[in-house]
Amino acid sequence: MSRRMQIVLASFCFCWLFVSTAAAQSGGELRFSIQSEPKTFDPMLADDDSSETIRYLTGGFLIRLNRQTQTLEPELATSWKVSNGGQTISFELRRNVVFSDGTPFSADDVAYTMRTLMDPNLHSPTADPFRSVEGQVKIDVKSPTAIVLQFPGPVANLEELFDSVAIVSAKSPHRDVAGLGPFVVAEHKAGSSIVLRRNPNYWKRDAAGKPLPYLDAVHLDIQQNRDLEMLRFRRGEIQLINTIAPDAFDRLAADMRSAAHDAGPSFDTEQMWFNQVASAPIPDYKKAWFRSQNFRRAVSQAINRADMCRIAFAGHAQPAAGMISPANHFWFNAKLRPEETDVPGALKRLADDGFHLDKDVLRDRDGHAVEFSIITNAGNKVRERLAVMMQDDLARIGIRLNVVTLDFPSLIDRISHSFNYEACLLGLVNVDLDPSTQMNVWLSSASNHQWNPEEKTPATPWEVEIDRLMHAQASTTDNKQRKEYFDRVQEIVADQAPFIYLVNKNALSAVSPTVRNAAPVVLRPQTYWNIDSLYLAAPDPSGRHGE
Amino acid sequence: MSRIRLVAIVFLALTFSAVLFADFVAPAPYAKQFREVPNAAPSLKHLLGTDDLGRDSFSRLLYGSRVSLLLAPAAALLSTLIAAFVGGSAGYLGGWFERVALAATDLSLSLPWLFLLLTVRALLPLNVAPVTSVVVTFALLGVLGWSSSGRVICSGARAIRESDFVLQAKALGCAPHRLILRQVLPNLQPVLSAQFWTSIPIFIIAEANLGILGLGVAEPLPSWGNLLRGLENWPEVKASPWKLAPIVALIAVVSCFQLIFQKRENLAS
Amino acid sequence: MSSGENILSANISVDYPGKKGVLRDVALDIAQGEILGLVGESGSGKSTLSLAILGLLNLKGGTARGNMAFLGRELTTLSEREMRSIRGRQLSLVLQSPHSSLNPALKIGTQLTEAWKAHAQGSRVQCRRDILSALQMVSLLDGESLLNRRPSELSVGQAQRVLIALAILHRPVLLIADEPTSALDMITQSEILRLFARLNRELRMSILFISHDLLAVASLCHRIAILKDGEVVECGSTEMIFNHPEHSYTRQLIAALPAAPARLEEVVVYSR
Repeated sequence: MSRRMQIVLASFCFCWLFVSTAAAQSGGELRFSIQSEPKTFDPMLADDDSSETIRYLTGGFLIRLNRQTQTLEPELATSWKVSNGGQTISFELRRNVVFSDGTPFSADDVAYTMRTLMDPNLHSPTADPFRSVEGQVKIDVKSPTAIVLQFPGPVANLEELFDSVAIVSAKSPHRDVAGLGPFVVAEHKAGSSIVLRRNPNYWKRDAAGKPLPYLDAVHLDIQQNRDLEMLRFRRGEIQLINTIAPDAFDRLAADMRSAAHDAGPSFDTEQMWFNQVASAPIPDYKKAWFRSQNFRRAVSQAINRADMCRIAFAGHAQPAAGMISPANHFWFNAKLRPEETDVPGALKRLADDGFHLDKDVLRDRDGHAVEFSIITNAGNKVRERLAVMMQDDLARIGIRLNVVTLDFPSLIDRISHSFNYEACLLGLVNVDLDPSTQMNVWLSSASNHQWNPEEKTPATPWEVEIDRLMHAQASTTDNKQRKEYFDRVQEIVADQAPFIYLVNKNALSAVSPTVRNAAPVVLRPQTYWNIDSLYLAAPDPSGRHGE
Repeated sequence: MSRIRLVAIVFLALTFSAVLFADFVAPAPYAKQFREVPNAAPSLKHLLGTDDLGRDSFSRLLYGSRVSLLLAPAAALLSTLIAAFVGGSAGYLGGWFERVALAATDLSLSLPWLFLLLTVRALLPLNVAPVTSVVVTFALLGVLGWSSSGRVICSGARAIRESDFVLQAKALGCAPHRLILRQVLPNLQPVLSAQFWTSIPIFIIAEANLGILGLGVAEPLPSWGNLLRGLENWPEVKASPWKLAPIVALIAVVSCFQLIFQKRENLAS
Repeated sequence: MSSGENILSANISVDYPGKKGVLRDVALDIAQGEILGLVGESGSGKSTLSLAILGLLNLKGGTARGNMAFLGRELTTLSEREMRSIRGRQLSLVLQSPHSSLNPALKIGTQLTEAWKAHAQGSRVQCRRDILSALQMVSLLDGESLLNRRPSELSVGQAQRVLIALAILHRPVLLIADEPTSALDMITQSEILRLFARLNRELRMSILFISHDLLAVASLCHRIAILKDGEVVECGSTEMIFNHPEHSYTRQLIAALPAAPARLEEVVVYSR
């Protein structure tokens, strides 16, 4: 065979390969990174981010929260009804659905899933929110497509909880791998990668009747290092990044405008609080400052939130109005506004409490110079910037702020065990829309009630009131009523400022321009919430991808 | 040859006086945040631009140099003195004392001193003024940083103990304290000063690393360490090369010290 | 040749840890004004003997048994403090290699001052006068300029003379010279030998001259002791040793000399 002939043949093969990938428009392998090895592949035990990612991509759910509209949508249940004061839910199930291994789906599978999930010996984190009252769940399979679940007591936000209950098969011989979601786990290299293949039996179809998902596979790289993740994204080796730091985001936006997505304020907050624990090993006069509403509000008023957003977050944040982000469409109390920077106002509040300025130094009634330390975790550059900006802001009202950065374990020890700290600056990641998941923060007896955890009895009248309102919202299923209670909680928190909310970070993500149908949102999973309708565009014939 | 030395001396003299009189030389207080112009490029108002909070980088460099140039040598002196005492007496006295001292040195070399520092920092009170924190940081570095120097000095001292001139001096009836003062120390002096000079940049960089762990100089006080942290972000530095100023200053000062010191060494030998 | 009574009269054995009997019942007497040569091959224990007399054996971890009477005092019973006051004042040492025996970091003047201060108190002027006279004694006439130099700036011969000046600064009764000439070239060697002879003559200083070089010893010493494997095998006047060696080892040593000691008479006469 002549050399020329060989070359022609080779280029022919090349073209053929090329055409075949282009023709499989709905195919393609999407790649992105997860930060750690999933602790489990069992959807009922998922508790960490990576395990939840696997559950999201492989599980089939009765009801799904649409991450974009923040409303519940029917999936394996075509309809549902909550009754009996939030104690009972009945589902009408989708017909002709089969598991990935071909086993048909029916109400028995839902019954089996709920029985397994609610078994106390399983210790499923997913099951905890269902357990408002001790007792058994009554499961009543009415027909292969109808099932009624009756819980021993009212369950707050019952229907939304099913967003994290992946249905497992009662009958399949391959129960642990058979799923109802868009993908199935195909390969797992411990510590390095997980490959998910398309579920050929997935029930969902697009508007044109074409079976979903479009993607052939999802390749998850286990990669802890965020810089490497970004590098690989820039090289085109991965196509999605769910969250990016503001600096990195701006650099990406400068180079690849179309890949950087700012979805606006997220649910995440940055906040500070004063230690109000009665037994804390700090001087009594300082405890008195920290228990004073005027003091806390004055500090809040002295802080320039707009500058924080502009400088520390390069504009990718919004001043926080309170405990609930405006991104939470339903639950946010729209009457609340971020605290305005108001130095004279702050000084007036302080004067009301007997504080006075003595040559640029604020002193309390007894002449103590006002100085306190704020602890935060070391290594978080943005948070350190926030602290230094606060240092400057508070100097304007004569307060000396000492910034102390600690390694995370010592920080946690101080805020939850020794209580040997004065103020703390931390971020809070919010995952759920519904206030029922925030009981562990707002009840005065709760352990995450950070300013004064696990109080035997509420220390202040406003904490009594918050306790009452939180219990009230939990004991009704009427969302309008619940919203009224919860709006009131938000107002009290804004007024008393036990947590001084600073900013809501924007949800910053990166999506390769080759990914089609992507619409990043603030809720997790930000970039692939609509995984079943994502696909990769055909590689550009002139680009390097053709080689 | 001596011209280079002269240049080094002049440079250091200028640096030191600029740094000592930073209060007059610096165009702005080191903590002042010009929030309208964060991350600014160099201009007449901000000779080296501003940092990510809008603080004047030139002023911060001056004050940061003051902290590091005064405290790193102090810490180096402290650690060299400890090393001289422990290593020197171990090597010179020999016997069981040497074994104990060397065991202590090895132990302190093998200690996970980062964790030790973390613990020490965790034990410190929270309301520490930035100036105190910087002194504490360098004092800790000085106290903990002696062990590798100690080993070098110990072997130097051992060689001196076994030398003929010490035997000769003993045979001449010199008293022990005179022996140490006049026979041993002058001969250890090159080793000691080498240890001293090499410790300075090590401590400056150690302080920078501690800063990453939250153990360094507390905000808003600048030091070369926390200024160097600004260089972590390579793409940003590439786009704004004037941010390299702190590292240029560090290299310049350390090499000037080395130049002057080397010359003295050559003269001595 | 010996005159007067014995200033040192020793009979000692020395052990090192792990090496017993480095010296075994070594008996030595040195009379006032006498030069005693101690000859032996390397490893025979010559240097050990000098350290033992100075009470510095502990530097090498050795221990001495026996007795050493020096000017009527029993050295083995003295405290370190008392020994120190004897060393350099009444009993001095000159070592083999002049450059390594001088402190490289110190100026000659400083080293001499240190040695002076070890046993004398007084003004700087007195100190300087004593130092210059000691330097003169060892034929270093440009003492002034020497004082500001460091050992590395001296010739070997100059350095050895400085070392001797250090040793004789306080006019010791006994000078122990441990191989003081073996590092020197022939001419310097003979100059130093002559210097020792002169010091012996002018200061009435007794010298224990330790060497492996029988010829050099013979040219200088009144009496010679032959040391072999830690024992003195023979001891007698220089003439006796050369003319009537008794021990086979002594005969071996003499037979190994490059030339017959023809100049012996001349040297002996000179040394007298």
